[in-house]
Amino acid sequence: MITSSSRDKAGGLTLTPKTQKGPSFFTRLRRSQGFAGYLFISPWLLGFLVFGLYPLLSTFYNSFTRYNLFSDPEWVGLKNYQGIFTKDPVFATTSQHMLIYVIISTIISICGGMVLALLLNKKFPGNHIFRTIFYVPSLLVGVAIGLLFKQLFGSGENGLANEFLGLFHIGPFNWLGDSGRPYLAVIALILVNVWFMGGTMLIFLAGLKGISATYYEAARIDGAGKWSTFWGVTLPLLSPVVVFNTILTLIGHLKVFETPLVFAAAQGAVGSNPGNPLGLHNGLSTYLLYIYVRGFVYNEFGYASALAVVFFGVTLALTLVVLTASKRFTYYAGESDN
Amino acid sequence: MDILGGQRDVSRATQRTAQQTRAIDYRSRGKFYQRMSLLWTYVVLIIMSTVVLAPFLWLITSSLKSEFQYYAIPIQWIPQPFTWSNYVEVFTQYNFFHYIFNSVWLAVYSVIAVTFVSAFVAYGFARFRFPGRTAMFILLLGTMMIPGQVLIISLYTIFRNFGWIDTFLPIIVPKLFGDAFSIFLLRQFFMGLPRELDEAARIDGCSNFRIFWNIILPQAKPVLIVVAVFAFLNSWSDAWGPLIYLSSDSNRTVPLGLLAFTNPYKAVDPQLMAATLIALVVPVVLYAFGQRYIDSGVAIAEAK
Repeated sequence: MITSSSRDKAGGLTLTPKTQKGPSFFTRLRRSQGFAGYLFISPWLLGFLVFGLYPLLSTFYNSFTRYNLFSDPEWVGLKNYQGIFTKDPVFATTSQHMLIYVIISTIISICGGMVLALLLNKKFPGNHIFRTIFYVPSLLVGVAIGLLFKQLFGSGENGLANEFLGLFHIGPFNWLGDSGRPYLAVIALILVNVWFMGGTMLIFLAGLKGISATYYEAARIDGAGKWSTFWGVTLPLLSPVVVFNTILTLIGHLKVFETPLVFAAAQGAVGSNPGNPLGLHNGLSTYLLYIYVRGFVYNEFGYASALAVVFFGVTLALTLVVLTASKRFTYYAGESDN
Repeated sequence: MDILGGQRDVSRATQRTAQQTRAIDYRSRGKFYQRMSLLWTYVVLIIMSTVVLAPFLWLITSSLKSEFQYYAIPIQWIPQPFTWSNYVEVFTQYNFFHYIFNSVWLAVYSVIAVTFVSAFVAYGFARFRFPGRTAMFILLLGTMMIPGQVLIISLYTIFRNFGWIDTFLPIIVPKLFGDAFSIFLLRQFFMGLPRELDEAARIDGCSNFRIFWNIILPQAKPVLIVVAVFAFLNSWSDAWGPLIYLSSDSNRTVPLGLLAFTNPYKAVDPQLMAATLIALVVPVVLYAFGQRYIDSGVAIAEAK
């Protein structure tokens, strides 16, 4: 810790002639705060520079090269990008999948979470149990849960999904292996989100708690029914939370990786024959999965870097779209946010 | 809600009276209406709960089935016999003790490192005024938006140049620098703590670090627990890092162990389900432990 090196013997404010480089008391205070402040945040700052900024710039650089890790990257200009947008059918398929998946999944997550939050917003016995039931599954992420759902969507009639649909006499689907209908795989992927509405539910619950009861009182006095209360009072007041939640969910769905990885991989894929890691007929291709395959399976790191840059751009663009679109719909209840 | 004309006014007045009448009716039938509404709520919730819980029930029963019973149509919900050997096999034949050990110590390390460093950094953001503070904080928030996977290729190259591939270092070292979301949560919380205690300690001659350690941290227990729980969960379920950086069997963590779970001689789905159950039980237990804190933590993060 820097101890003060000022020559201020008198203490307090002194008018020092500019011959000596003696800082005034306030400068010293400000400096010491600054030093201490930067000292405390230095771990993060350092980590960001080394593991964040540098790789980011490096990825950007690599996207203009052809790089297979064994030799040095060689500059190829925009060829990778050209390839991505004009000559890559897998990229086109992937983009289609992502569009469908992200939009529908986000709608499911947000609407489902909102419905659950509305239902659980009142006090009644057993409220807490239900909340736990819906929230805990959303904490389970990763390979394990992906494997569970892979079994659930198993082909044939012993998969839970098929058995459930069988109750309604809807025929068994070969979710992950139907070469005639590869889109079933994406549908299965989307359906998985039904189990994970707990996260959005919790955020909506917190948001609902923030709506003061006086609004509801006023609505009730005006004779508003349940539906108009929702549309006229709850939803507008909840809109900042909806935006926040939507962006969060959107970005989360864009980053989907483990579930499609597991769905597409043959059992025991790591360490043995992986089959087509993108699923039958590339049916399960998502952005991150594709980046992983191009980079770590085909060793085309330049191309994969270009894909990563494109992906990052898409994420940014989508976020901006949601933010600007939501400005029209959000209503801040008289407080000055931002 | 536009008031358009005189005629409208009159009808609105009559409407209001009708509404008031309805309101009176409403209040007298109120209890019945409320009870019906509650009943419907329960019905919907119970149906949805069943849907949500069904896969996990299936998981438990399937993990105890023999291979023959596993594939039976229609699904039989009670294993006959209870094949506990599935679990035994998971540990003996599929090396799961080792994978669990790897996952556990990585997770514990992650908890300690991430919680401490994030709190350290958050303290800097919360309690010190320095030039560029806002810019840095916005930068911090921005990093939350960058999916780590965008950086993975360059990171892989960097680590390869260090010779760290197939060691645990590429996973361990970045955690020493804090985690953006944790820093954010902690900073919000720290900023809510009154400064008087800080100042009192400072007058008594405490250094900044001692203020951090002895004053701020003890007050922050709820948030620290939230951060710790999330750090553990993230580490436990992380497949991305291990998938990229770890290759040999002895370095595998649980997610990789699950991915590599195969037997060339027979279908081993029940055993796989047993292993999956083991992998999933840990987060559930952890949640049960940290539940109160997580709920309040989300509320804090929401109130940004």
